[in-house]
Amino acid sequence: MSFKDQIAFVRQHIRRNRLRVFMTVLAATMGTAFLIVLASVGFGLQKTIKDDILSNQMVTQIEVYSEEMTDAKADAMKEIDHVEAVVHRKQLVPAAIGELEAYKGHLNTYFTNFKDEQASGFRLAEGRFPEKPGEVIVGSQFAAQLIAESVEVKEGEEPASYDGSVIGQTFTFSFEGENDETASGTWPFTIVGVKEAPGKDWAFDGYLYLDESFMKEIESAYVAASPDLDEQEDMPFTNSSVNVYADDLANVKAITQKLKDDGYAVYSVSEEIEQIDVFFLALKAGLIFVGTIAILIASIGIFNTMTMAVTERTREIGVMKALGAGPKLIQRLFLMESAWIGLVGTVIAVVISYGVSFAANAILPIIVDAALGGETGDSFEVTFSVIPWQLVLIASAISLTVAMISGWRPARKATKTDVIGALRHEL
Amino acid sequence: MIEVKGLSHSFRVGKKGKETEVPVLKELALKARDGEIVSIVGRSGSGKSTLLHILAGFLQPDAGRVLVDGTDLTAMGEAQRAAFRLDRFGFVFQNFQLMPGLTAFENIELPLTLKGVPASERKRKVEELMESVGLTGIRGHYPNELSGGQQQRVGIARALVTEPPVIFADEPTGSLDSETEQDILNLILSLNRKYGITFVIITHDDEVAAIANRQYRMHDGELAEGGIRHVV
Repeated sequence: MSFKDQIAFVRQHIRRNRLRVFMTVLAATMGTAFLIVLASVGFGLQKTIKDDILSNQMVTQIEVYSEEMTDAKADAMKEIDHVEAVVHRKQLVPAAIGELEAYKGHLNTYFTNFKDEQASGFRLAEGRFPEKPGEVIVGSQFAAQLIAESVEVKEGEEPASYDGSVIGQTFTFSFEGENDETASGTWPFTIVGVKEAPGKDWAFDGYLYLDESFMKEIESAYVAASPDLDEQEDMPFTNSSVNVYADDLANVKAITQKLKDDGYAVYSVSEEIEQIDVFFLALKAGLIFVGTIAILIASIGIFNTMTMAVTERTREIGVMKALGAGPKLIQRLFLMESAWIGLVGTVIAVVISYGVSFAANAILPIIVDAALGGETGDSFEVTFSVIPWQLVLIASAISLTVAMISGWRPARKATKTDVIGALRHEL
Repeated sequence: MIEVKGLSHSFRVGKKGKETEVPVLKELALKARDGEIVSIVGRSGSGKSTLLHILAGFLQPDAGRVLVDGTDLTAMGEAQRAAFRLDRFGFVFQNFQLMPGLTAFENIELPLTLKGVPASERKRKVEELMESVGLTGIRGHYPNELSGGQQQRVGIARALVTEPPVIFADEPTGSLDSETEQDILNLILSLNRKYGITFVIITHDDEVAAIANRQYRMHDGELAEGGIRHVV
């Protein structure tokens, strides 16, 4: 019997039992859709958390810590494959003071190479990068640190800080020597750029960014202002951070591993994401397991339908066997029928699941927002449900396998139908 | 040619553990030459249906051999016997045994479909056959829309469609009135003459048995040859 005729034969049987087959398909659909939607919540939450992490930091950034960091070591990191840039920032240890008009404040100062910073994705909210000596960049909250000292502050009030645009402003920079009393001298700096605000709302960036070419000048001023200085130990700079930037997120893991192998203490987002992935893999496996139970319940329906079909068609099976249909063909015809139920159920379930997923993502945030009295704010972006193609594949495989297994026994029963008994069977 | 040698069969009846053996066929021997109509006549319970089931390969005997053109049917497995039936045998049943969900055309077509014959060839053959057995105009009718005589004609056409050398008929006129019975017997006779098909007919009716060239009478599981005659 050709495959096409087998399909026609199965379809003819299905047509004759429309209602029962429909109910069975419905059960298979519900089971499979339940599995997909349930697991999609796991995928959705994983996406939400991952996106949250990725939006809050430079995903290609790898932070490197070492007690004995040197420029040479930092430069050597540039040679690692897929490293786009290495930024080696040094922080000024002594407290620095900035004065702009009547405003004054303590400053945290970084020395860095702006070329490397640019290559790493250091972005300006406004202005430009320094081109001449004396030009600097400041953090987005730089102005907030400059306080008007002359204005008296009443109890319970915040002191007034500089609130104008800082671009183009020139302020006086100074710091103290080791014994805190001797002034090191003063430098006029012109602000030519303001760094983009950090992604995290709570992160503070009031830093002053100076080109590393200033370091020598600052260092000699510091030494001059600190007569008791032990030059070997008490240098005015710390190797506060080295950040390595990969050319692509996919390469972060390999670079992280290479740096670890070289003996550095390393942190990158890939580490965090890896941990999250492990957690969510377990969660998703659990959800798929629970969903599979729903499919197994549906399989009882398929088993029932197929057993009924075999019993009802005993005489027909007998006639077919009498005419010369082999046991394998009989078995295949019944297996095809249960596979058809599983297949149609799966296809409908996939379509429904995408609909439910879309609706959940559209409606649930509104409901949650309303339930919380509209306090979630604009940053409340939760993806409740995501259905990747892998989930569709897994659910389809489970559904079809279960359908075939539940059709297996009835199909075997059909092949064992006794021809003589079947021919005597009354309809 | 069909040749049966030393065929014995018994059924086990009663509760499990307390079964008793009831012999149904006792050392039978039978012959059906190519192109003959062979009838096996007997009362109900004489074992004639069991004999037919063994001849057709539905049932494996306890002892003895069934040779069809020298091939031993009793030595085959179930799947082999099914394939052999599809290739060599046609069947006509007392209660027609048509598929209720298939039209007359589709019922006749079924053995060809099982054989994997292409649809266009099936169509041609079935149409030809329907014409020759007098089944014009009922192509799309379902079995429950046909008279007994028409259903049996469909049954006979289904048995004929694969052009088998042998057709087994189990009480082919058992469910028909006498006038229709005569029509069906005439059809069997004409097909036998036209195509040289061997018919093995099981019946309790002497009138039906009378059309056979070779008659066997069955009594209590034993077979006696009742003579050979030539029907004019």
